[in-house]
Amino acid sequence: MSIITIATSKGGAGKTTIARLILGRLSQAGLRVATVDADFNHTLTDWVRTASKHAITVEHELDETRIVPLVESLHAAHDVVVIDTAGAATQATIFAIGCADVVLVPCQTSSADIVEAIKTMNLIKSASLMMKRDVTARVILTGYQPNTNISTHIESEIAKAKLPVMETKIHRLVAFQEMSFTGIVPTSGLAGLQCANFLDEIEALGGIPEAAKMAS
Amino acid sequence: MGKKDLASVTTDLSALASMMPTQKPVVAAPAAVAQPAPTAALKVVPTPHREEEGVIQFSLSMRKELRKQLARLASDADMTMRAFVLNALKEKGLSVREDDLIDLRKERR
Repeated sequence: MSIITIATSKGGAGKTTIARLILGRLSQAGLRVATVDADFNHTLTDWVRTASKHAITVEHELDETRIVPLVESLHAAHDVVVIDTAGAATQATIFAIGCADVVLVPCQTSSADIVEAIKTMNLIKSASLMMKRDVTARVILTGYQPNTNISTHIESEIAKAKLPVMETKIHRLVAFQEMSFTGIVPTSGLAGLQCANFLDEIEALGGIPEAAKMAS
Repeated sequence: MGKKDLASVTTDLSALASMMPTQKPVVAAPAAVAQPAPTAALKVVPTPHREEEGVIQFSLSMRKELRKQLARLASDADMTMRAFVLNALKEKGLSVREDDLIDLRKERR
């Protein structure tokens, strides 16, 4: 059983898109998946309840004192729990980081995204020190446009800041935007390939339990 | 570093979390007394700094055509030419205050 937290203090960085990809693909693979939506915009909750074609348990919870007990209870009955946080560093974000096996920090191609990604990674380091255990965290580039000056620049800035970054990049593709309306996570084409690679990397980081994969 | 323990997460991270804003829904306390709505119309009152700093005048010469353009643009913006120029200079970094833009002309009867 594992817990994946998606966090960055920047709004609109792609947190909910990333959550949809993970939840949708793992649900398609037959895993029991649940999500805690700790974002006041409840975009993920709305997507699961109205658009999603996948079997996903969703709980919208803003109260930081309830995050950990809720994750614990979902954790007991599901293979993977994904926590989607608000686009701000809040108490709920800290506890969501504390629960995680893997923290993913989405970052689009803008300077504000990098600044907030650095702040979030520092927050994860602080949480890690206080809990006396390593929290695996990776930056995932979203809204990526290959072969552009801005993408090259962003990658060099991330390297300069020495942020650990995933090899897979989530490109700015129509299929990902369509997902918010159709509720279907892409399985084919470039979008499908990026999803598959993304999930493989999360699995390698320990974000997807082996036993659950075997059972599915 | 050891295995993750969810039971200790709250305890371990309470100090760090206390430095962050909460997003717990706030239950609004009932208002003891309803505040009366302001009845007086809003009025711009010049602040004392004008008197303290003093206002000076200086002349500005320009081509007639430019003067006409300035008058037209200011009129289109529903501003005096003075306010229009000061507003433009504000965008260039001049520390223009709101009360500097007040129309100082006497109202015509």
